[in-house]
Amino acid sequence: MWRSYAFRVTVQGLLTLWAVTTFTFVMIRKMPGNPVEVVIDQLIDRQQLSYEEARQQAAGLFDFDPGQPLIEQYADYMNKLLHGDMGKSISSAGTPVANQIKRYLPWTLFSVGSGLIISFTLGVLLGMAMAYWRGSVFDNVLTAAASLMYGIPDFIIALLLLLVAGVQLKLFSMEDVLGGVGQDVHAGLNLPYLKSVVQHAALPVITYVWGTVGGWILTMKSSTISTLGEDYIMVAKARGLPERRILTAYVGRNAMLPLVTRLAISIGFVVGGSVIIEFIFQYPGLGRQLAMAIGTRDYTTMQGIFLVIASAVVFSNILADLLFGMLDPRVRVGGEE
Amino acid sequence: MNLGFGAAATLTGLLIGVLCSLPPLGLALKHRLYRPALLTLAACALGGFSAGLWGGALMLVLMSGVVISYAYVDREDPFTSRASIDEVDFSESNWEFSLRKMAALGRTVRASAHALVRNKAGFLGFLGLVFFFVMIVFGPLFIEYDGQPHYYDRLKPGAKTLFQGPSKEFPLGLDWQGRDVLSHIVYGGKNLIRTSVEAGLMTTVIAVVLGSMAGLLGGVVDQALSALSNFILTIPTFPLLVVLAGIITFDNHTYLALLFAALYWPTLMRAVRAQVFSLRERDYVQAAVALDLGLPHLIFREVLPNMISYIVVNMIFTIRGAMYALVGLVFLGMVPVQEPDWAVMIYIGRTRQVIFNARAASMLLSPIIAIALFQLSLVLFTRSLEEIFNPRLRRGL
Repeated sequence: MWRSYAFRVTVQGLLTLWAVTTFTFVMIRKMPGNPVEVVIDQLIDRQQLSYEEARQQAAGLFDFDPGQPLIEQYADYMNKLLHGDMGKSISSAGTPVANQIKRYLPWTLFSVGSGLIISFTLGVLLGMAMAYWRGSVFDNVLTAAASLMYGIPDFIIALLLLLVAGVQLKLFSMEDVLGGVGQDVHAGLNLPYLKSVVQHAALPVITYVWGTVGGWILTMKSSTISTLGEDYIMVAKARGLPERRILTAYVGRNAMLPLVTRLAISIGFVVGGSVIIEFIFQYPGLGRQLAMAIGTRDYTTMQGIFLVIASAVVFSNILADLLFGMLDPRVRVGGEE
Repeated sequence: MNLGFGAAATLTGLLIGVLCSLPPLGLALKHRLYRPALLTLAACALGGFSAGLWGGALMLVLMSGVVISYAYVDREDPFTSRASIDEVDFSESNWEFSLRKMAALGRTVRASAHALVRNKAGFLGFLGLVFFFVMIVFGPLFIEYDGQPHYYDRLKPGAKTLFQGPSKEFPLGLDWQGRDVLSHIVYGGKNLIRTSVEAGLMTTVIAVVLGSMAGLLGGVVDQALSALSNFILTIPTFPLLVVLAGIITFDNHTYLALLFAALYWPTLMRAVRAQVFSLRERDYVQAAVALDLGLPHLIFREVLPNMISYIVVNMIFTIRGAMYALVGLVFLGMVPVQEPDWAVMIYIGRTRQVIFNARAASMLLSPIIAIALFQLSLVLFTRSLEEIFNPRLRRGL
C-alpha cells in the first residue's frame, strides 16, 4: 500500500515537472526578442555602433544560436537536463545555471523563510489568544488590525517602508538596507558580516511578515473557535484537567491541523520568493534574478529557476499530503476505507 | 456600450436619470410613500448621471420594485394572505404575476440594503468603493486632466518647481514634469480598476463553469480538469504572467484581464468542484432530483444559492489579486506604459528615482495610498457581501 502510494506520487511529480519544463521552454522562447537581440540593442544604444557591427560583436559573446530549430534546442536541453546539467547562462556567458541558483537561492530561502516562520509563529499564538479571549478589547483591536494588514498589498508596504521610514523620517540610510549585504564586509562567519546580512534582510522580512501574518491570525482564530466548541474539550473540562493542559494538548494541537498543511504548501512558495519585493529592496534573491533573466531573455537561467520553483511546489504538496495523513488519523492516506 | 463603470458623467445622463425616476416616483407619491419617493428620485438621478441610459434603466427597474414592494405587498398577493387555504384563489393574471415578481425584487433590494448597512466594517468598505466610483465618474467634471509636461520655462501658474509638495493650489503636489498629481489620481484609476474587475469576473466565470462541470460530470472530464489545474498551480504564476505578458502585445487591456483569468482560475475552480461534490449528496438536492425538478432548477435554486456567497467573496479577492498582478507587471516595466494610471505613476517613481527624493514623495505616495485604500475597501466590503448572499446570515425585514 505504502509503496504503491510513493510510486504514484513520484511518477505524478516527475510528469508535472516534465510538463512544466516543456511548457516554459516553449513559452519563454516565444517571447519577442532573444538574448542576442537584447545585447545588440544595448550595444547600439551605449556604444553607438551600427546594427551590423553590434550583431557581430554580440554573436561573439554567446555560444547560443537563435537560428537553431526549436525542436533541436529542446532535445539538446532535455538531454542535458537528464544528465543533471541545467546548461550555462546565456547572458552572463560561461556561468553554469546551477552555480547561479546556488548563489541566489540561499538569500531567498533566508529572507522569505524567516518571514514565513515569524509570521506563522506570531499568527498561531495571537490567533489562539484571540479565540480564547474572544469578544475582548484585545480580540477586537487585533481582528481589525489583522484585516487592515491583510487588506494592503505587500509591495505597497515595501514602498511605504522605504518612503516614509527611510526617506521622510530618515530612520535608516539607503545603503544600509538595500541589497543583500554591505559593501565593506568580508563574507564568512564573522560578526560584522552576519550583522550586515540581518540588517539588510530586516526590511524584506518585515514586509513578508506584515503581508502574511493577518491571514495566519484570522485562520488560526477561526480554527481555534471551532475546536473550542468540540465535545472532547467539554469532556476535558468536565474531567477537571488544568486549563493550561487543555489549551496546549487539546485545543492547540487540533486547531493547528489545517494550518500545518497550509504551512507545508507555503514552504513550496518560499523558493520563488517574491519577485516584486526583492526587486524593490534590490535583494539578491532568486525572484529578482528571475525578473532580470526575463528582462535579458536569458533562456537557460529562466528555465532553471522555473524548474527549481516548480520542484519545490511539487515537493511541498507531497509533504502536505503526507503530513496531513500523519497528523490526522481520520484522513490517513491508504486507510481502511 | 458604456455599462455603468467607466462612463463619465454627463448632464444628458442626469436628464435621463430624472426621466427614469418619474414612473416609480409617481407611484410612490400616489401611495403617499414619501421616504421611498425621495430615495427613488436620488437613486435614479444618480444612476442616470453616472452611467447614462443603462444606469437610469437599471435604477428604474430596481426602484420600481422597491416602491411596489411597499405598496402592494400583503394586499394583492394571494401567497401572503392569512385566510384559510381553501378560500384563497391561486389563479392570477399576468399583470398580477409581474407585480408580485416586482415586489419580490423590491424586497430583495431592501433586504440587501439592510444587510449592507448592518455590518459596520462592510459598510465602511462599501463607502470606500463608492468614494472611488464617485471620484472616477464625477471627478472629470471638476478637474481637468493635466497630461502635457510643464518644464521650467512654462510651469503651471502658481507652481515654483517640478516635484512640488502639496500646496493650496495643488493639493497633492506636482510630479516629475510639473503636472498636477491630483488630476492623475482622478483619471488614473479608471483603467486599472476596470481591468481588475474584468479579470476578476472572467476568472470567476471560468472557475465556476469548469468547477461545476468537473463536479457534475465527474469521470474523465473531472480528471482532465483536475490535472490541468494542478499543472497551472505548480508553475509560479506571477513570473509566468510576466513571460506571457511579453508574448502578447496589448493594444487592449481586456486581453491582459483574459490572460490573468487563464492563469488564476484553478484555486477557485477546485473549491467550486469540492462544493458541488458535497452538495450533490445533500438531502435537499437529492429530493429535488427525485421530484424531477429539472437541471435549471437544480443549478439555480438548489446548488448555486449555497455557493453564491463563497463565489462572490472569492471574486472580490480575485479582483484584488488581479490589481496586485497588474500593478506588479507595470511596476517591473513588463507591459506597455500608458498614462494616466496609478500603476504607471509608481513605475515612473521607480525609474526616475523619485523614491529617494524627499520632495517628490507626494507623486509616489498618492497612487500608493489610492491603491491601498481601494484594496482595503474591497476586503472590508466582503463582510457585507457575505451577509447579503449567505441565506443563513440574512434576516427578514
